[in-house]
Amino acid sequence: MTDLRHFAGASALALFSSTFASPALLANELNPDIGVTLDGYYRSGEQALSHREEGFGLGHTELTLSSPIDDRFEGRLTAVLEDHAGDTELGLEEAYIQTTGLPWHLNLRAGRFLSQVGYLNGQHLHADDFVERPAAYRALLGSHYFDDGVRVNLLLPTPFYWRVGAEALAGDRLGDTDGDEDIGVYTLSTKLGGDLSASQSWQAGFAWLRNRLTDVASDGDAEHDHDHDHGHDHAGHSHGASYTGKNLYITDLVWKWAPQGNTRQSQLTLSGEYLYADDLNRYASSDDTQEGWYASAVYQFAPQWSTGVRYGEVDLKEAHGDHFHDQSLEETEVMLAWSHSHFSTLRLQYTHQSTDGFEADDNTVTVQYVMSFGAHGAHDY
Amino acid sequence: MITDRRCSMTWRSLRRWLTPALLVLTIAPALGQARPAVFACEPEWAALTRALLPEADLTVATTAWQDPHYIEARPSLIAALRDADLAVCSGASLEAGWLPSLLRKAANPDIRPGGPGLLLAAEKVPLHQPHQHVDRSLGDVHPEGNPHIHLDPDAVPVIAGHLAQRLQQRFPDEAKAIQQRLLRWRVNWNLAREGWRQQAAALAGQSVVVQHGSFHYLLRWLGVDAALDLEPKPGLPPSTAHLHQLANDPALESALAILVARHQDRRPADWLADRQQLPVLVVPGTVTDEAGTDTLAALIGHIVESLVEAMEATAGER
Repeated sequence: MTDLRHFAGASALALFSSTFASPALLANELNPDIGVTLDGYYRSGEQALSHREEGFGLGHTELTLSSPIDDRFEGRLTAVLEDHAGDTELGLEEAYIQTTGLPWHLNLRAGRFLSQVGYLNGQHLHADDFVERPAAYRALLGSHYFDDGVRVNLLLPTPFYWRVGAEALAGDRLGDTDGDEDIGVYTLSTKLGGDLSASQSWQAGFAWLRNRLTDVASDGDAEHDHDHDHGHDHAGHSHGASYTGKNLYITDLVWKWAPQGNTRQSQLTLSGEYLYADDLNRYASSDDTQEGWYASAVYQFAPQWSTGVRYGEVDLKEAHGDHFHDQSLEETEVMLAWSHSHFSTLRLQYTHQSTDGFEADDNTVTVQYVMSFGAHGAHDY
Repeated sequence: MITDRRCSMTWRSLRRWLTPALLVLTIAPALGQARPAVFACEPEWAALTRALLPEADLTVATTAWQDPHYIEARPSLIAALRDADLAVCSGASLEAGWLPSLLRKAANPDIRPGGPGLLLAAEKVPLHQPHQHVDRSLGDVHPEGNPHIHLDPDAVPVIAGHLAQRLQQRFPDEAKAIQQRLLRWRVNWNLAREGWRQQAAALAGQSVVVQHGSFHYLLRWLGVDAALDLEPKPGLPPSTAHLHQLANDPALESALAILVARHQDRRPADWLADRQQLPVLVVPGTVTDEAGTDTLAALIGHIVESLVEAMEATAGER
């Protein structure tokens, strides 16, 4: 009823009056942009390395506040409500300040933020095309890696896009470790990109993540009593990455195509990433490495419809004191999504997993909604 | 001594690499600055800039084939915005889905909201249809008002004046030439506007079916009613249910034509046109590279002409 009245009011305003923009809007401009993302789902079975449980559940419920602070800084705060086995947890996923307009196209960020390694990690989960991040991300980056620290980015003065960046992060959120290093993780990353024609664009990236806390992790595991309940832990509730290495390398490639560049009507997005971790802990030989990759194709074939397929693999080493147990996971996902407006998406996804060393159902179907109200920030490439 | 020599050796080899690298880093931006670099979010602002400062190195983020609401914040656009001296955009949330991301990533000290290098056209003229109470059940409405200001024959000269002023601030060496070109542009615009007014005299009171508010300002100026919209709500694509409802709307019978922009899917318009024997006019929503629609004045002339032709054709049939 209220909606109707609003609509009638707005139409009346539009049709019968030629009122001009009034300063009434200005009152709002000192308030931050507030946005809420609602994510709910039903899943028919258990999946390996998943943060979502079987049955009805809530995914990533986000409350975001963002605003310019003054003419030199802007800030953003994202609180996340997650439900795990009946307990609702409030987490802080982003709380950062960022500079605007530093000389030499420098960009500084401090606080808690999503690391910019890889293609997907820096993006917000609600912008994803599939229900969950690829298996390689879930295993090696804990689905999405965010941490406390600082970031420096520099745009190079080249005729194409070339960004180099470094981050220094606490590292506590990458694996369940309590290292005594203040700066547990360093990352170096670069991104290149450009247009191939009016309809095609691309971006490539390379990142190196140096984890200085892995040795400590292995000490903890050395007392492990070998009862093989680890796999269960991972499938259950774990925020950090379950598998780490001293070095994690990620390369990513994205190519997007839309006829005449009109992404509103249709768009094809091909993307893929390869992750490789070595130097797992002090007991690891040079053969003990973990790797994973995925390739995804998403085709938006009408303004409101998109479909996609993604295949991914990950080969892991689960640390058991001084030795490792092999684990692997292959995942094929097919999805169909309908977005009534820019702010509402319903998704149907079928997932086939074949696992080695995990307990999971082979085939699962997930129905998901991702909807947002309030401010809705601009999407990155 | 030995250490010293080793030091100088490494320094020399380092310098061998550093010198070209530093040269690239210092000269490349300098080369970029050789011509004034202007980033235009939409082709209409690029066309205005071209009229005022023809030697500008222009990057246009969108074309007439693209819906300006839905543009990817592509790497190439970040690179172009990084090098730009001035960015000209519509504002009023038209680019809300992509411009903030570009601005943040390009980290151009001058080009930011309120900065000397960002001009938002919609902030310079009064907008129609602002919403005091807005929620998304109304569709993807812009609370500031309709941002498609570029086809308003009375608003464009105001914006051109602001653009000229900003160009003069950014490129003081060109100030005089810009002023002269603005005067010449104004004379031509006023002449053209008189022409449209005469041509359009017969159009007043007519009505057309539209898709989205892209032509709202021009139609309003012409006195043409655009109450029927193929979009059920702003920003939502035409739905079957809504099209059926339109097909049965008595107001459709008196409509002159269905006016859609080139970047829009024309199938819904064709479907409705078949039901009512209405002509479908597909015109560029903005300036193109093609002769006949390559300036704002030419584009407005083309749209007015299309409407007049449609009216004469219908009059002939009736």
